[in-house]
Amino acid sequence: MRPILLQGHERSLTQIKFSHDGDLIFSTAKDQVACVWFYANGERLGTYHGHQGALWTVDVDATTTLLATGAADNTARLWDVKSGKCLKTWEFPTAVKRVEFSDDGTQLLAVTEKRMGYLGTIAVFDIKVDVEAEQSDTPRMTITCEESKATVAGWSYLGKYIIAGHEDGSISQYDSKTGEQLLNVLVHESDMQVNDLQWAPDRTYFISASKDKTAKLISARDLQILKTYPTDTPLNSACITPKKDFVILGGGQAAMDVTTTSSRQGKFEARFYHKVFEDEIGRVRGHFGPLNTVAVHPKGQGYASGGEDGYVRVHHFDKPYFDFMYEVEREHARR
Amino acid sequence: KEHEEALVRREVIDKRKTAASNALAQKEKEEATQKRIRAQQILEAENQRLREEQREREQKRLKAEQDRIRQEELKKQIEDLKTGVKGIDVSEMDLDDLDTNRLRAMKLAQLEKEKNELSERLRVTGKRIDHLERAFRREEAKILPRDYQA
Amino acid sequence: HYDEDEDIDFSDLREQYEVRLEEGLDAFIVIDGLPVVPEESKSKLIKFLLRKLNTVGKTREDAIFMPLNDQKKSEGFAFVEYETPEQAIAAARALHGVPLDKKHTMLVNKLTDIDRYGREGRVDEEYKPPVIEPFVEKEHLRWWLGDPHARDQFAIYRGDNVGVYLNRKKEAPENIVDRQHWTESFVQWSPQGTYLISVHAQGVQLWAGPNWTRQKRFAHPFVNLVDFSPNENYLVTWSHRPIHVDEGHPVLSMEEDGKNYIIWDVATGKALRSFQTIDLPGPAVDEAGNPVKKKIQWPAFKWSADDKYVARMTQGQSISIYELPRMNLLDKTSIKIDGVMDFEWAPATPQRDGIKNYEQLFCYWTPEIGSNPAKVGLMSIPSKEIVRTRNLFNVSDAKLHWQSQSKYVCVKVDRHSKSKKSLATNLEIFRVKEKGVPVEVVDSIKDTVINFAWEPKGDRFVLITTAEVLANTAVPPKTSVSFFCPEKVKGQAIGNFKHIRTIEKKNSNAIYWSPKGRFVVVATVHSQQSFELDFWDLDYEGEKPESEKDLTANLQLMATADHYGVTDVEWDPTGRYVVTSASIWKHAVENGYHIYDFKGTQLREEHVERLKQIVWRPRPPTLLTKEEQKQIRKNLREYSKIFEEEDQYELDSANFAIVEHRRRILDEWLAWRASVEEELRADRKEE
Repeated sequence: MRPILLQGHERSLTQIKFSHDGDLIFSTAKDQVACVWFYANGERLGTYHGHQGALWTVDVDATTTLLATGAADNTARLWDVKSGKCLKTWEFPTAVKRVEFSDDGTQLLAVTEKRMGYLGTIAVFDIKVDVEAEQSDTPRMTITCEESKATVAGWSYLGKYIIAGHEDGSISQYDSKTGEQLLNVLVHESDMQVNDLQWAPDRTYFISASKDKTAKLISARDLQILKTYPTDTPLNSACITPKKDFVILGGGQAAMDVTTTSSRQGKFEARFYHKVFEDEIGRVRGHFGPLNTVAVHPKGQGYASGGEDGYVRVHHFDKPYFDFMYEVEREHARR
Repeated sequence: KEHEEALVRREVIDKRKTAASNALAQKEKEEATQKRIRAQQILEAENQRLREEQREREQKRLKAEQDRIRQEELKKQIEDLKTGVKGIDVSEMDLDDLDTNRLRAMKLAQLEKEKNELSERLRVTGKRIDHLERAFRREEAKILPRDYQA
Repeated sequence: HYDEDEDIDFSDLREQYEVRLEEGLDAFIVIDGLPVVPEESKSKLIKFLLRKLNTVGKTREDAIFMPLNDQKKSEGFAFVEYETPEQAIAAARALHGVPLDKKHTMLVNKLTDIDRYGREGRVDEEYKPPVIEPFVEKEHLRWWLGDPHARDQFAIYRGDNVGVYLNRKKEAPENIVDRQHWTESFVQWSPQGTYLISVHAQGVQLWAGPNWTRQKRFAHPFVNLVDFSPNENYLVTWSHRPIHVDEGHPVLSMEEDGKNYIIWDVATGKALRSFQTIDLPGPAVDEAGNPVKKKIQWPAFKWSADDKYVARMTQGQSISIYELPRMNLLDKTSIKIDGVMDFEWAPATPQRDGIKNYEQLFCYWTPEIGSNPAKVGLMSIPSKEIVRTRNLFNVSDAKLHWQSQSKYVCVKVDRHSKSKKSLATNLEIFRVKEKGVPVEVVDSIKDTVINFAWEPKGDRFVLITTAEVLANTAVPPKTSVSFFCPEKVKGQAIGNFKHIRTIEKKNSNAIYWSPKGRFVVVATVHSQQSFELDFWDLDYEGEKPESEKDLTANLQLMATADHYGVTDVEWDPTGRYVVTSASIWKHAVENGYHIYDFKGTQLREEHVERLKQIVWRPRPPTLLTKEEQKQIRKNLREYSKIFEEEDQYELDSANFAIVEHRRRILDEWLAWRASVEEELRADRKEE
């Protein structure tokens, strides 16, 4: 599994997304530019210029037509994937930490930061999946997070719920039509921020990654904790692999939190756990700093990780990866 | 009239003369050029030959050097093979026949063998130590109640 | 307003908060031994108590909690909150053992002192009144020797918890007991493993038996260090603060006032005698006038192998030997030894050729004084006979290393040349067992020896040398590891010590012999760069190099392991396993432990948040006689058969259990997926 190194960002990575056919990789970093790359060979296809601050988040709709980004310049923007043209800019009073399209691409949510008297919010926009169309100026709905600000959020299956992870370690379920909070569960250790939330292919369950050094697999319909993956380092990101029943976790102690000057690379690894059995399967080294984001190929062919070190590493899975199976899984496959 | 004709002829002769001498000069010039070019070509060929020779010499030297290094490496590896805890008897082998790949393979095989032997012996040792401790404990446990009474 | 980093670290805040909670509990005391009264008499009793309680501090009626049982009767104890922890300490000191009436005597302890059990609310459930202790039938303190699978225990001190576990090799260790705030500074096992020692501001406590009940308390306020006698009959406690004894202290008398050391009798719990610290000679302030932090000598009181004597040196002058248990000075006088720098008792009663009356022996050394050479001596106690002395020249320092059975004492002598510059080390090995105590000198070592260790119960040793240390370099100098053993000779005699092999260009700085001998781990600890653990066998059963055929060793490197950030290495008492750990006391990176088998195969690696200590429980000498041991060795094959079957069975059943477990988990997952998919289909139809 020899990785391809994507060098193009000058600062630490913040999010990576695959296009829905898996051919393209979109990445954002603190250097104000979003990039798009070919998954197959790591060549850079283009960039999206316009933001005036660190980019925090990126998402692409299911037809690879529109790209959404959010940044520290208090804007979320919509781009023509092909031409790189900025189609729309939405302004907010605070930074935009997370954007995500619903599975049919007709809605976009944007999570805004809590800052200077403004509470954190989740703004929801109606989207026309058409580069020519005029997009609406104002959100259809805004959910205000009174208790604890949302750090991440996403759409469940059929766009039924909006699920948000919070600063206080809890996870909320909102009715996506009314914005009413249906559930709030303290899933992670209290006051241990949820840093990432990524979906299973059918969006019926998701994985959350937290500063409390665990990742959890959670059911979207009732926020029941299905699985827990404990590690020895704060986690920044986690994803669920299609095809194989694994999850990939990324994290690492930030340099300022490390008490000694040791440059041990040990913690800066992508960790593979078995999704169902919760066992650690293996680790992939390579980054020189914490892993800020991990994303998996939608067909389970490979994955990409983005680090504090400014690199994106793209890995194509090899045969042993696909062959790996527990005896009971083999048994089940034979049945 | 005759004089005129003579003048004309003379003029013609002069013209011819000039033309002839021009032609001659032209020819000589061309010949000189040709010669120069030829000389240049010869020089070029000679240089080329010299360069060629130089390159060949260099290649030979490099190869000799590589051979020497390879030979030394070989010798070292053979020494390595001979020493070590259980040296391989290399006296019967024709050293010229050996190449580094084969030597390396032999070395690896030897290391592998040593490793296997080490781990097998230690496994047996470990089992004995563990079983002896457990046997002692088992017998000791029987007299523990006696110790409690005391 | 770019938000580059929103991660606010709350951990320091939380710690503060936790500390505050602790301090809250510090102001509580527990009173036991109270009369049992019905509900209606409770407030009367509380008012009565309040008068006593307020003589030493300030508390109120509503700060006294006296729980009632199902029969609406009090339980004979109460919790009291004072205004400050200091008042609680004062109350525990002044009111403990004070009679209330003819029948009842108050037993007052700080709540945190009792056990430091849990948080408020849980306290009354878990609280076991200490007053019942004397009536409990004496527990069998050696219960733990009888584990049917011959497993050994270790204690782990992590965060605020102390737990004792059974080693299960690759499997997670089995927890036997776990208590929060069991100790305040560290834990320690007694030398034969009978007691677990906890250390508190009020003194030390000994815990033992299958229920880990408190066996003894030794009230030495602000105790820093503890040391048991080899046979667990006595212990010495030390605090850098001189003891301040108030009038009426329940345990200590004015005798102890101003003292730093107390020698205790373990059986009675009584203080036998107390002493002040003797400062090492040297200036009290440095050239700049700052006070010099004096290195403390520990242990200052050293026990003889038979628990009969404890001795302390007054550096440069004398050694005082006290007879136990009376703690009288032997022959009423200290032994004057001019210039004495250090001394060590023989760790086992020496067996000497031609000597019938076995006495205890200690070794000491004195430096050059005037024109007199430096000297090493061996003195026999109680006769005070000097068994052997030896003169040494150009000595800059010496260290005394006894072999575990007192067969040898090796004096490691650092020598300087005439110019006082270059250093070299000589080993002067006293062969204590042999007639006349001959001395063998190993002077082939050119570099400085930084570490030396005898093989326990053996005749071999390992040492680590380093070339001259260059000042102002970040990288520590490379070291060399050398192995020595006696050469082969005919008969029972032991030949001269010969060099086996030296491994150069290492970073090693520590030597850990298996307590049973034969195997040794040479390691690099407390280093930022290197974390190597080399596992050596000195009696490898494979082929022996021709060049070493005359030596009584067959040296073989079994494995090299790497434990990032390793700070401690310890063999289990049976010499089958090695635990290496990275303690938060030294650094905060990857705290946790590894377990290896004797040959360096890693069995287990566990990350433990805020790991402070992991310590094996020692074992007493075997109860089996020499004859019984011989018999077992002879029949080992029979035992082996049984153990192999046992192991195989365990392996099979464990594997079976794992597969069964996984099968169940997979089935549960698939069932969940099926139900969710069903629901998803229904939702799609609705749309």
